Amino acid sequence: MTTIMSIRDLNVSFDTPRGMLEAVRGVDLEIEAGTSIGIVGESGSGKTVMSRAAMGLLQGRNVRRTGTVVYDGQELTAMTREQVRNTFGTGMAMIFQDPMTALNPVRRIGSQLSEGLRVRLGLSKKAASARSKELLDLVHIPDAQAMLHKFPYQLSGGMRQRVMIAIAIACKPKLLFADEPTTALDVTVQAQILQLLRELRQELDMSMVLVTHDLGVVAGNTDSVAVMYAGEVVEYATTKKLFAGMRMPYTEALLQSIPKVDHPSGKRLSVIAGRLPDPIDRGAGCSFAPRCQYVQAKCHTEHPPLEADPDGHLFRCWFPIGGAK
Amino acid sequence: MAGSGTAHMRNTTDVVLSVRDLVVEFRVGQGRVVKAVSGVSFDVCKGETLAIVGESGCGKTTLGKAVLQLPPPKSGEVVFEGTDLTQLPKENLRSARTSMQMIFQDPISSLDPRMTVSRLIEEPLEIWDRGNQQERAERINTLLNNVGLEPELVLSRRSYEFSGGQCQRISIARALALDPRMLICDEPVSALDVSIQAQILNLLQDMKDRYGLTMIFISHDLAVVKAVSNRVMVMYLGKVCEVAPPDVLYAKPAHHYTKALLDSVPIPDPTRQATVALLQGEPPSPMNPPSGCRFRTRCPAASALCVEQEPQLREVAPGQFVACHHPIL
Amino acid sequence: MRKFTIPTWFSISWLGLMFFFTIFGWLLPFKSWTTVFEDDLGVAPFSAGHLFGTDTNGYDLLASVVSGTRMSIFIAITAVGLGGLIGSVLGITAAFLRGKVDTVMVTLFNVGLSVPNLVLALALVSVLATNLDINQAVPTWRRVMVLIIALTIVIIPILGRIARGATLSWSNREFVTAARSMGMRDRNIIIRHIVPNVLPALIAVGFLAIGVVIIAEAALSILGVGIPDGASWGGMIARGRNDLEYAPHVLYVPLVFLALTVISTNHLGDVIRSGLDRRESKV
Repeated sequence: MTTIMSIRDLNVSFDTPRGMLEAVRGVDLEIEAGTSIGIVGESGSGKTVMSRAAMGLLQGRNVRRTGTVVYDGQELTAMTREQVRNTFGTGMAMIFQDPMTALNPVRRIGSQLSEGLRVRLGLSKKAASARSKELLDLVHIPDAQAMLHKFPYQLSGGMRQRVMIAIAIACKPKLLFADEPTTALDVTVQAQILQLLRELRQELDMSMVLVTHDLGVVAGNTDSVAVMYAGEVVEYATTKKLFAGMRMPYTEALLQSIPKVDHPSGKRLSVIAGRLPDPIDRGAGCSFAPRCQYVQAKCHTEHPPLEADPDGHLFRCWFPIGGAK
Repeated sequence: MAGSGTAHMRNTTDVVLSVRDLVVEFRVGQGRVVKAVSGVSFDVCKGETLAIVGESGCGKTTLGKAVLQLPPPKSGEVVFEGTDLTQLPKENLRSARTSMQMIFQDPISSLDPRMTVSRLIEEPLEIWDRGNQQERAERINTLLNNVGLEPELVLSRRSYEFSGGQCQRISIARALALDPRMLICDEPVSALDVSIQAQILNLLQDMKDRYGLTMIFISHDLAVVKAVSNRVMVMYLGKVCEVAPPDVLYAKPAHHYTKALLDSVPIPDPTRQATVALLQGEPPSPMNPPSGCRFRTRCPAASALCVEQEPQLREVAPGQFVACHHPIL
Repeated sequence: MRKFTIPTWFSISWLGLMFFFTIFGWLLPFKSWTTVFEDDLGVAPFSAGHLFGTDTNGYDLLASVVSGTRMSIFIAITAVGLGGLIGSVLGITAAFLRGKVDTVMVTLFNVGLSVPNLVLALALVSVLATNLDINQAVPTWRRVMVLIIALTIVIIPILGRIARGATLSWSNREFVTAARSMGMRDRNIIIRHIVPNVLPALIAVGFLAIGVVIIAEAALSILGVGIPDGASWGGMIARGRNDLEYAPHVLYVPLVFLALTVISTNHLGDVIRSGLDRRESKV
């Protein structure tokens, strides 16, 4: 398998009036062509910043980024803005949590869709319009021809997300970043959108990075999962191995806190007590130690490294579930 | 599904809130009318939590607000503790509302950004002139402690300085300030991270026990209401589909729509992924709902009967009521 | 506290100076601006005894411009204050009540906005501030009153529309529903929740409106329907027009004051606006 994107020791920090905010700390990730990887974490875990940085989308005076991101054999950090921009659409594409703000409210769906086709693929107006209709069919929008003439506000949340996906895949990207693509949607529509993404990945042979706070969403839609906490990857494994046996107490706690349909009614839900550590002033030990139910003295003083068990299951814990390494 | 009927209404003295044939419609210009809620009946007994579940646009939020007469429904009755709220004069309604409070979906937008937490919670006490300065301060402290916030740390801060979960705690403290007997929670956790949802759900459950509340819990996600509800009502396009206790409803859904909702919940287990066909498409427009059963356009079991006749709620198992001509049995 | 940029500091200082002139100008040790210095006709600025020089009639320009500041700023603030008050009451009420009241109000605002400011003010002044007997002068106080009324009417729809728009967006927030469900009266909802949130936007636009009024007042003076006797900036400009060839500074002094004031109010309006946007993006 070929690697489409490789992230090495990525660090992102923001210069804030209170001090340096380390949003992403030493993340290593490999994304194989044709696979789907889930990035899971709570708000503030750094998952969104990490994915934006990987796409080269973080800019600004107060952002510091170190480490390397190699996309398709090229070092993204060494590319000019123009070159990074050129990889968008045909190389990388992105869909967002809120499709309403990601679409331009005053332009028709058709013109927003064909823009990329005309600029990036150099299609004629007529060809772009025909291709737009095909794309809307591809994302299962009924009556695509009529949809081309509508404005975003005339669409439901699910339809808007389908349009966003159509725009993202318009130029046949190799890697799709999906940042909480279903969080704003109803469960029924979420199921439809996830199914659509599975189909499209197969059809277009596209890799996907699925960023979400919901382990349930990750389970059926990814090949491997990286769990992030306080800016670090704390567990990484193939999806099957992860759900078969979690090693990191945080992942286990996260899974247990999900409301489930088979939860006994009337029984209290288990929660992760406390909250994320202050991103500007993190303690010396394990970031999860203050909230961990298995915490021991060592956890408060020494920061655990990311280690692998013989199966290649990575975790960042001194006392992993299921015994020593 | 999507039928009418009152077979599920109970006739006991425990009933705190009884809603009958509630109709809410909005005019949206050019003579068009959105039929948000079309003849919904339900009741809630003392100390019970009724979950109202359905997709966006099924009228569940409108229904919750209509109970509080915000705005008043077009027809139907809302009897709360023996008084029909729809018949009350404005001034009496104002005081009746204090015994029912609402928690909203967007925790940040439901708090005035210009007001400090202490002002936010004091406001309801001030409106009704409850207690003196010192009693109010004590009450605010107790409420904040009860919802798990440190009064000293939060009192002088404003809503935008807090996370969504914390804002929802503040909203809950505020809703409890007037000692309501009923709490209507409109998607209180759907804007929150999964890891925070459980905390807020547990908190609501604790508050219910501590303050002896009766609750209506509105959500689009069946998984969320499982742990907290005593009775679940599934709605579709302004009508009731199914009413049942959660253990029955989740184990043996009788309505095709309930089953589809259950199948849509993501399962955090890669070996148990849903293989059944998902609900396709989106609900039809509430301006022009289908004839007969409103769910028939998306229903796998729809027949000619469903086009002609609207199904009525009937009991298919003890405590389980369904409005469907062809229920799953 | 945010750091202010140099233009912001300048704007605040300049407007502070203008307010100082407006309120305490009469305490400054100048001779009345109507004093005629017969030996110093049309002297250039920075001459002894005449910092800004004199005009061809021998009026001291420093004394004139301070006096003009008082009149111009007084008219601008009164008109914007009154117009803002009336406009926001109308706009907020319309947006809160919706329905027919709103429709009527929006129509009125639109009619008001569709007539050019100057034409509207000109028409009002010529109708209200003229005497049937052309030999009898209209008293200055009546001219000022009429001018303020005319400019207030110009301002009402401008700020009224802003108030209406802001109210519409804020009254859709759930905290308004929350307040209602707690049993709050509509009147209190408006006073406690709507007004404080709408006010910052109104203040931002109010600053821009002060600029509009100052210019409109000057334009009216130049057209001959403003304050007579050159008692405002516009009046000074109108009078100085004739001296353009011999003593151009007579024209420049009030022009510079007017320009700096308008630039300052516009700049502060923008600063408030962008501060507001930053805060609202968090909400």
